[in-house]
Amino acid sequence: MAGGETTGQQQRDFVFSCRSVSLKLPYQGGTRWILADISFDIHRGELFTIVGPSGTGKTTLIRVLGGLTPCTSGSVRINGQEIAGPPEGVIIVFQDYSHALLQWRTVFRNVALGIEGRVAASELRSQVLAALRLVGLEKNADDYPWQLSGGMQQRVQIARALAVRPAVLLMDEPFAALDAMTKASLQDELLRVKQETGCSIVFITHDIEEAVYLGDRIAVINGSPGRIERTFDITLPKPRNQIITRQLTEFLKFRYAVHQAIAGMIR
Amino acid sequence: MKRGELGAFLRQAAAEVPPARGLIPLLALLTVWQLLAPGPSAYFPAPFEWWSAAVLLWDSGQLLPAFAATVTTFVEGLAVAVAIGVGLGVAIGTSRPVERALGPLLEFMRAIPAPVTVPIATLLLGYDVTMKLTVVALSAIWPILLNTSSAAARVEPLLFDVARTFRLSTADWIRQIVVPSIVPFILLGIRVAIPLAIVVTLLVEMLTSLPGIGALMIQAQRNFQSAQVYALLVVVGLFGFVVNDLFAIIEAIVLRRWPARGAFRSS
Amino acid sequence: MTVGRFSGRLSWRPNIAGLVTMAVCGLVWETAIQIGILHYQYLPAPSAIVLGAGELAASGELVAATLHTLESVFLGWAIAVAAGVSFGLLLGSSPLLRRYSMATIEVLRPMPAIAFVPVALLLFGFSIQTELMVIILPSLWPVLINTMGGLMGVHARLGDVGRTFRLSRAAILYKVFVPAATPAIMVGVRISLTLAVVLAVLAEMVGNPEGLGYAVVSQQQALRPDLMFVYVAVIGLLGLALNALLVGVVSASFPAASAELKGPRS
Repeated sequence: MAGGETTGQQQRDFVFSCRSVSLKLPYQGGTRWILADISFDIHRGELFTIVGPSGTGKTTLIRVLGGLTPCTSGSVRINGQEIAGPPEGVIIVFQDYSHALLQWRTVFRNVALGIEGRVAASELRSQVLAALRLVGLEKNADDYPWQLSGGMQQRVQIARALAVRPAVLLMDEPFAALDAMTKASLQDELLRVKQETGCSIVFITHDIEEAVYLGDRIAVINGSPGRIERTFDITLPKPRNQIITRQLTEFLKFRYAVHQAIAGMIR
Repeated sequence: MKRGELGAFLRQAAAEVPPARGLIPLLALLTVWQLLAPGPSAYFPAPFEWWSAAVLLWDSGQLLPAFAATVTTFVEGLAVAVAIGVGLGVAIGTSRPVERALGPLLEFMRAIPAPVTVPIATLLLGYDVTMKLTVVALSAIWPILLNTSSAAARVEPLLFDVARTFRLSTADWIRQIVVPSIVPFILLGIRVAIPLAIVVTLLVEMLTSLPGIGALMIQAQRNFQSAQVYALLVVVGLFGFVVNDLFAIIEAIVLRRWPARGAFRSS
Repeated sequence: MTVGRFSGRLSWRPNIAGLVTMAVCGLVWETAIQIGILHYQYLPAPSAIVLGAGELAASGELVAATLHTLESVFLGWAIAVAAGVSFGLLLGSSPLLRRYSMATIEVLRPMPAIAFVPVALLLFGFSIQTELMVIILPSLWPVLINTMGGLMGVHARLGDVGRTFRLSRAAILYKVFVPAATPAIMVGVRISLTLAVVLAVLAEMVGNPEGLGYAVVSQQQALRPDLMFVYVAVIGLLGLALNALLVGVVSASFPAASAELKGPRS
C-alpha cells in the first residue's frame, strides 16, 4: 500500500477521501488517461500536500476533488458522502488569481461572493470582515483587486474561500506565480490560518521544499497518467519556521526522499 | 503556397464556416412570408414575386448594365482609395513631425461621415462619372489612410534599431520592414472601407440617378414596383455578402504567415 | 493623440504643430478666397460658413433639424442596443442557439444599410419610421456581435469560481459573466452610436426629408454651399459630442471598469 489509505470503516471518519480515482479525457480524436488509481484520505485539520512535476495531472486532480470534473472511475467522498458536482464545504483556490477574482468588484464584495444571498445581511458583513482579518486585509476592503499586488490578490482569494467556513480548501499551486519573498510570507500565513480555523487543506505544488515545509503529510504524484508514488508523514516540529525548519537535517532528508520518489528510484 | 499547405488551409477554413443549419431562421422567415402573402401586394410581395421581378429586370436588359456600373465604380473607387491611402499613410506615419502636424486635420476629416461627402462632391465636381468615382474613393480613403498611418507610426521601435545597426537606407527600411509590419492593419482598414464604398456608390446613384443599382432601386420605389425593390434588395445583399467573404478569404490567405496580434507593440 | 497628449490629469501638452497646421490651413483658405486666387465656384470661405451658421441658428432651422436627427438617433440606437444586448446574451450563452443562427447573421450582416431606404420608403413613406428602419438593423449588429463575443470570451477561470462556490446558473450569469463581458458590450454600444448617427443622416438624405441629412442635400440643391457646410460641421460635431457623452455616462455608471483604465494606485 502506498501508505495514504485506511480501511473502509475508518474511511468514514475522514473529512475527505478518494478511492481508485481514474480519469481519462478526450485527446486528439481519442482519449488519454490523465490520472490512474489515485487513493488517499485527509484527516480533519490536516495539511496534505501533493507534489509532482508538470504534466502529471495535478490540476486535473484538484478539479476532480472539487467536483468540477467527474472522474471516469473510482469515488471521491466528503464526510462519507460521495460527491456529484462541487460539494458543499469544499472550495478551490486557483493559481491565476487575477482571473479568479471578480476584478469589477471591491475586495469586500469579492470575499462576499460565496455567502451573499445565503446569510443575513448583518451576518454577511461580520463574516466578510472576519475572513479579511484572517489574511490581514481588513484595511483593503474597499479597494479593487487590480489595485493590489499579486500576493495581496491571492490573499483576497483565500479570504473569499475562508468566508464560507469550508471543511476543505483545495489549493492549486496558489503561490507559484509569486516571487520568493511573497511566497514565503504567504506560506506562513497559510499555516497560521489553518491553525486558527482548523480546516483541512489539500495543497498542490511542484515546489518540493514548499511541499515539505507546509505539509503534515505529503504525497508524491508522478508519471503520465499520474499516480501516487509514495506518501510520507512529515514529522518536522511545529510551528514551522522559514529559516530554522529548512535547515533541519530531517527537512533535508524528507526533501531528498521526495526527490528520489519523483525520479522514480524508490518504489 | 505548397499544395499540401493549400489543402490543409482550405480544410481549416471550411471548419470555421458557421454550420448551414444556421440558415434555418432566414429560410423559415421567407417560407412563412411566401405562404402568408395575399397575392401581389404593394407592401409585402411574396418572395416568389421578387424572383419574377428580377427575371423581368434581367430580360429587359436593365439589370446587368446597372449591376456592372455599380460594381465598376465600387472596384475602381476602392482601388484608388487603397493606392492613395496606403501611399499617403506610410508617408505620414513614418514621419513623426508630419504625423503630429496633420493629425488633427485628419481626425477632423474623419469625423465627417462618408455619406455627407456626396452632396459636397456633387456641388464641387458636378454630376458625372468622375464625380462618382472621386467621391467613392474619397470616402473609402479615410479608414485606410488612418489605419495605415497609425500602424506605420507604431512599428516596433526595436526594429528601427535593427535597421540602423545594419545601416539600411530609408527606402529599404520602408519597403522591407515598415510595409510588411503594417499589412494586417492595412487589411483592417480595407475591411472597414469596403462597406463604406458600397454605401457611397449606391448613395450617389440614388441621389443623382447616375446609372447603377441604386438608381434602379429608387426608380422602382417611385413607381411603386415593390417586388422589384425587394428583388434589388436581395441583389445588393448578395453583392455585399460575396464581396465581404471574398475579402475575408484574401485576408486569411495573406495573413496566414503573420503571428497573432501580440507581436506588435501594444499602444 | 489628436489635439494634445494627456500626461496626468492637470498637465496637457497641446499638439502645437497640429493646431498650427489647422489654423494655417484655415487662414490660407480664407485669404485665397478673399484675394480671389481660389474661386472654385462652390467653395465658400470659412468666414461665410460662420456667418451662415449665425443665420441658421437665428432662424431656428438649425436647432429644428438637429433635434429631429437626435430624436431618430436616440430612438433607433436605443432599440438596437436593447435588441442587440438581449440577442447577444442569448446567443453568447447557448452554443445550440448559435449553431441555428450564426449563418443567418453572417448573411444578413453585410447588407448595406442604404439598400433598406427604398423598402422603408415603400412601407412608411416620408416619416420617422423610414429612418428607424434604416438605422436599427445595421446598428444592432455591433452590439450583438460584441455582446456575444464578450460573453464567450469570459475567462474559463471565472466559470470555475462560480461553480466552486455553488452559485446557481442564473447567479453565475448575472454576477459573473455579464459583468465580465461588460467592457466588450460597451465597445459594441459605442460603435453602434457612431453608426446610428451616420445612418440617421443617410436616411434623411435619401429617405425622410427632415433633419440634418435632408438639410445638407437641400442646401446643396439650393446652391448655398455656405449653409451646406454649416450642416456638415454640425453633423461632425454631433457625432463627437454624442460619443464623448456616452463615454462620460459609462465612466460614471461603471467606476470599476473606467478606473481600471487609469491604472493601479501603487
